[in-house]
Amino acid sequence: MTMSLEDELTTAAVNGNSAEVEDLLRRGAQVNGLNRFGRTALQVMMMGSTPVARLLLTHGANPNVADSSTGLTPLHDAARTGFLDTVRLLVEFNANPQAVDNANCRPVDLARKYGNEDVVNFLDSLENSQ
Amino acid sequence: MAHATSLQYEPVAEIGGGAYGTVYKARDIESGQFVALKSVRVQTDQNGLPLSTVREVALLRRLEQFDHPNVVRLMDVCATQRSDQETKVTLVFEHVDQDLKTYLERAPTAGLSPGHIKDLMRQLLCGLAFLHSNRVIHRDLKPENILVTSKGQVKLADFGLARIYSCHMALTPVVVTLWYRPPEVLLQSSYATPVDMWSTGCIFAEMFRRKPLFRGESEVDQLGKIFEVIGLAPEEEWPTDVTLSRKNFPPVLPQPITDFVPEINEQGAKLLQEMLTFDPFKRISALNALEHPYFKEEEKLTQTKS
Ligand SMILES: Nc1ncnc2c1ncn2[C@@H]1O[C@H](COP(=O)(O)OP(=O)(O)OP(=O)(O)O)[C@@H](O)[C@H]1O
Ligand SMILES: [Mg+2]
Repeated sequence: MTMSLEDELTTAAVNGNSAEVEDLLRRGAQVNGLNRFGRTALQVMMMGSTPVARLLLTHGANPNVADSSTGLTPLHDAARTGFLDTVRLLVEFNANPQAVDNANCRPVDLARKYGNEDVVNFLDSLENSQ
Repeated sequence: MAHATSLQYEPVAEIGGGAYGTVYKARDIESGQFVALKSVRVQTDQNGLPLSTVREVALLRRLEQFDHPNVVRLMDVCATQRSDQETKVTLVFEHVDQDLKTYLERAPTAGLSPGHIKDLMRQLLCGLAFLHSNRVIHRDLKPENILVTSKGQVKLADFGLARIYSCHMALTPVVVTLWYRPPEVLLQSSYATPVDMWSTGCIFAEMFRRKPLFRGESEVDQLGKIFEVIGLAPEEEWPTDVTLSRKNFPPVLPQPITDFVPEINEQGAKLLQEMLTFDPFKRISALNALEHPYFKEEEKLTQTKS
């Protein structure tokens, strides 16, 4: 079975392989293209890999795509898994902190539920500064 | 072990494809969390799944009862019959969104602090001691299989499957990294728990160096690179049942390990040497490593989070 460039891109992103992500983007992989599961690279990336997140976002990855089954955005996933650097970066690239999933939860709600205090504080501080 | 995975777990990306099957990142639709799906194709006959597979899966489930903090949770096991001769067994593991490789790449340019490395090593060894005390050998320990949560918790992944795989997979050649392989595996002599302690030594060194210690390109090249550091093993330690003769290697002498891992302290260097010991019978065990003086001296623990 041959993989499309977008399948390869999501596989590189899910493995946190930034060199490979960069190479695939250079070879013409669409940063917002869907893999065969209907997901973009930013949706499936290794959430702890801030370098991969940065590469994708600077190449124009849409940070506000919601998961087709659950309504979760990459910011929800980064907040739930607790990777503050990735959370900050997503927000810097205009991810919506008020997005709600199908259960009506915002990223900060998930961060709180999973005990990621630093992420809660950061997302709260955004609200207070508005 | 008899229901379909397809409804609750929705694959979102392929992580890797080995000789035996494929690993997917998937989402548990009920909890919203990510999971890792690993499937193995097993040959079946009129009696159903082979006994060895059933036993291995039972062992993994028994391990799960201990809820050990340093191994990934096995959340579910599913079997789907594909044909009269083949069944797909899918193991559903907790997914962790960072591995040690990424973690080391992300560390500040000055590297990880000594206290931080000690903390990671202690957790890694705890996970291994647990697996070994249950007679599970990891066999494929490398930075990609060591996961680190955003709270700094180490969790071993990809363990205990090697036997399921090796029994049943239709062998297709795959490129596997040699860099963490111990001499006895490179020489195809023996495979037991000390295998993992060699890999742990390589990873310990890599935490300081932030690049792999031995980067061989073939089995022989890998052995050569190892001897350049630990010296050519003495004749009496060379396994007798192997085809590769000791005479193929130049008679190099051991070099101080601190030449290759300059930032390690004295006790750390001693422990590392006990891990990078040629003879698997003389190599330190995970339990003994945890009792090593290296872990007795406390270092200031700086931030251990994401
Ligand atoms: N529970 C998990 N959570 C997150 N990532 C995981 C998990 N289990 C495995 N992985 C990742 O999946 C990758 C691919 O696994 P896979 O077993 O296909 O290949 P491998 O371990 O690299 O090589 P090998 O074929 O030698 O086992 C691993 O390197 C690891 O980074
Ligand atoms: Mg593996």
